[in-house]
Amino acid sequence: MTTTVEKSTTTTAPAVASKKKSRKFSPWGVVAWLVGLGFFFPVFWMVLTAFKQEGDAATSPPKLFFTPTLDQFSAVFDKGIGPAMLNSLFATGVSTILVLLLGTPAAFALSLRPVRKTQDALFFFMSTKMLPIVAAILPLYVIVSNIGLLDNIWALVILYTSMNLPIAVWMMRSFFLEVPGELLEAASLDGASLWRSVREVILPLVSPGIAATALICVIFAWNEFFFAVNLTAVNAQTMPVYLVGFIAGEGQYWAVLSAAATMAALPVILCGWFAQNKLVRGLSFGAIK
Amino acid sequence: MAAITYKNASCIYEGSDKLAVDSLSLDIQDGEFVVLVGPSGSGKSTALRMLAGLEDIDEGAIEIGGKDMTGVPSKDRDIAMVFQNYALYPNKTVAENMGFALKLRGISADERRKKVEEAAKILDLTEFLDRKPAKLSGGQRQRVAMGRAIVREPQVFCMDEPLSNLDAKLRVQTRTQIAALQRRLGTTTVYVTHDQVEAMTMGDRVAVLRFGKLQQFASPNELYDRPANAFVAGFIGSPAMNLVKLPVTADGVKIGDSTLELERDDLTKLSNAGLSEVMFGIRPEQLELTDSGGVEVVVDLVEDLGSEAYVYTHAGSGVELVARCNPRTAPRLADSVRLRRHPEGVVHLFHPDTGERIN
Amino acid sequence: MTVTADTEADASQLAVAERVRKIREAQGAGVSRAEGWRRRGPLLPALIFMIVVTQIPFLFTLYYSTLSWNLVRPGSRQFVGLNNYIAVVKDSQFWTVALNTVVLIVVVVLVSAFLGLLLALLLDRAFLGRGVVRTLLITPFLVTPVAAALIWKTTILDATNGILNWVLSLVGIDKVDWIGQFPLTMVMVVLIWQWTPFMMLLILAGLQSMPRDILEAGRVDGAGAVQLFRELTLPHLRRFIELGVVLGAIYLVNTFDTIYMMTQGGPGIASANLPFYIYQRAFLGFDMGQAAAYAVVVVIFTMIIASFALRLIFKSFSGKEEAA
Repeated sequence: MTTTVEKSTTTTAPAVASKKKSRKFSPWGVVAWLVGLGFFFPVFWMVLTAFKQEGDAATSPPKLFFTPTLDQFSAVFDKGIGPAMLNSLFATGVSTILVLLLGTPAAFALSLRPVRKTQDALFFFMSTKMLPIVAAILPLYVIVSNIGLLDNIWALVILYTSMNLPIAVWMMRSFFLEVPGELLEAASLDGASLWRSVREVILPLVSPGIAATALICVIFAWNEFFFAVNLTAVNAQTMPVYLVGFIAGEGQYWAVLSAAATMAALPVILCGWFAQNKLVRGLSFGAIK
Repeated sequence: MAAITYKNASCIYEGSDKLAVDSLSLDIQDGEFVVLVGPSGSGKSTALRMLAGLEDIDEGAIEIGGKDMTGVPSKDRDIAMVFQNYALYPNKTVAENMGFALKLRGISADERRKKVEEAAKILDLTEFLDRKPAKLSGGQRQRVAMGRAIVREPQVFCMDEPLSNLDAKLRVQTRTQIAALQRRLGTTTVYVTHDQVEAMTMGDRVAVLRFGKLQQFASPNELYDRPANAFVAGFIGSPAMNLVKLPVTADGVKIGDSTLELERDDLTKLSNAGLSEVMFGIRPEQLELTDSGGVEVVVDLVEDLGSEAYVYTHAGSGVELVARCNPRTAPRLADSVRLRRHPEGVVHLFHPDTGERIN
Repeated sequence: MTVTADTEADASQLAVAERVRKIREAQGAGVSRAEGWRRRGPLLPALIFMIVVTQIPFLFTLYYSTLSWNLVRPGSRQFVGLNNYIAVVKDSQFWTVALNTVVLIVVVVLVSAFLGLLLALLLDRAFLGRGVVRTLLITPFLVTPVAAALIWKTTILDATNGILNWVLSLVGIDKVDWIGQFPLTMVMVVLIWQWTPFMMLLILAGLQSMPRDILEAGRVDGAGAVQLFRELTLPHLRRFIELGVVLGAIYLVNTFDTIYMMTQGGPGIASANLPFYIYQRAFLGFDMGQAAAYAVVVVIFTMIIASFALRLIFKSFSGKEEAA
């Protein structure tokens, strides 16, 4: 029963360590910087190449200095990136909302008011993730075309929801589990019905966790390729599919490909950067606050 | 305000075959301050939570104000509870925390504000009303938890070890404040603690629990002067009562080579019960140092507390006795001294096997 | 209190257990059933959705696997029983591809977990600009896999103009056709690049959730840095590493984007994994029945391995609630 509502003063050590902003020069710090830059390099190069003329792009030795141009980007836009962008936004956005709508109550049922078969339900959810999606693509293709949803963005919405739901339930459950049981008890003694206590007490507490979950869903949905490439053609193509289409058309033109790749990857990268803390929190299931 | 009755109430441990609370029966008067005390695992918290509706009543019943609470959910019982870890809503301000129950009842914002401010004044929380719990100290949070309970003007206050997370000095301060508050408000209160000092100083009556069973339910004085069994005798009072199993002789009990004399009545009761051994209890302050007579003991340790001293000794047969004495005249380590029963000293006799009181 | 109370205690324990049993019987199932449904309620929409969207297609796959069915030739559907499965077993390519899949998953997971551990250790100390470095390090995980594969394939690994070859030429190593000669390895490199940040974040979470006073106690007891790491830190991290490994493996089973973009499974099937191979059969060869049979075999293998994996997560994570 020993749950604490606030960070108890006995666990000072980790909290203090992360608050200390040491501006000391440290050799490991240098190593870390080098590694960080190294890992980041391909992305950096991608964005850099996007600003080159084709002549400057595929050279050996590779050019670091050149006259930048926006030509590649306008070429990408000219080829009609708009619809693909909108499709991706739609599929990602709607599926994430659906995931939250379906997943939050499910996570709640599996944590705060445990169902008798909690472990079984969790097992089931995770096991759906383990089935290779390739096994489902065949009948899905047939079913989707039979019900006329081929090349329709809604097919992707539904599939992305099912793709992200298990992880979302898993993650949100871990956030729900962090809520001290006593809060629910206190609320119920104060006279709140279950729904009321959830709304006024629990949800505000887990909202960072829900945001983190949403972010993870957005990343996976936006970057998804397999379903998109098989179940869409022209109308419903998402950004990854559009990018691939670019290649088939353009062949070995690296600069414009880089521009297209940048456009495809940028939204999620920016999302991840700005919501970094949430991302970290979500991926570590709330262990890092 | 309401009377509370536990009628043979029992509660089963989640997922186990053991009873957390075993046929507890208590009759609590309206306005009374009752303390449930006992070691960990005694079921005291569970008993409290059964009252609040946070644990199921598996057997028996609990009545509040004459109404059976079986099946009545917590929110309908009109009980306010102060949790050990306070359970303050972290995303609400102090004022919102205290006013939450009223808001749920549909009381207007003005009325709420008034009541919250009243309670805040009593508890010295007025300057904190707009702060969130994270920005408060432990003692302040504790007061907010109390304020949340007071504002509701419920039938019953339940308090689950509310002082255990405070430092010692604050604990003593808050103890008196809570007792005074309860007297002023007159609300029936059930208070759980493992600290027998809290129990003795705060309660009108105290219920001692062990392994889910009620040992004794009486006023603090009664518990101190006439404990119903050896467990209560050893639990209440600090330092603890000397409890030793001793052989019975014709005149009294044998400690080492000496005999400590007992009253006629007591000896009669012992022989009537056919006992050759007895669990003998005497409080440290009922033993005194003497020059002649009594029992010969060797001093193991002397604890000087300034106002009094406690001498830890052992007698020849290995029996250990603690006696109180004047710190200025305390003996020294390894001294050989004599202890005897204080002339008006009370002796407690318990059955050596069941622990039940004999005299 | 007394010794003789022991046997009494045993007897009374039995009596208590008996009472408990009677009480539980008396409580009956009626009330708890209604409560059970009320609790299950919120779970149902998600559960039903998943069952409909994932299980039903799988049942269809099972059905298709018993057919000989080519999409391009309508009307050619006919029941052939287990013929497709026999073809699977006889297909030597299938086993190569299966091996590729296993190698891919195992290598990527282990290497990225190892690298993730190193990176987490680096990031665990405070230094100037730590936040920025973390931002840089998580980026690979965020990049769309097809975009990442594209960039690696063209600008970095290309035989003539790729950066890697240029860098190597500075130290006198000849140009290598990376993707041509080491297709599977290159795919794995890109996957490792993308998954290391994920592992790093998980392990970092583990490092930061570790109570420092244990390390201090160890230091006082005379343990050196390596010993501290081995005896105290690593066991604590085990749960997180396991979680990373299992989650990573789950996602990597379905690797498709990277292969599609970098090698198209080639040359031949050198870098094809099972999903890609099945995809080829189904969408390029239009042989639905056969592809379905492959898929079912893959599913069965995955399920066997997965059940071990799931037990692992549950075992290590049912303790998480109390410890973390």
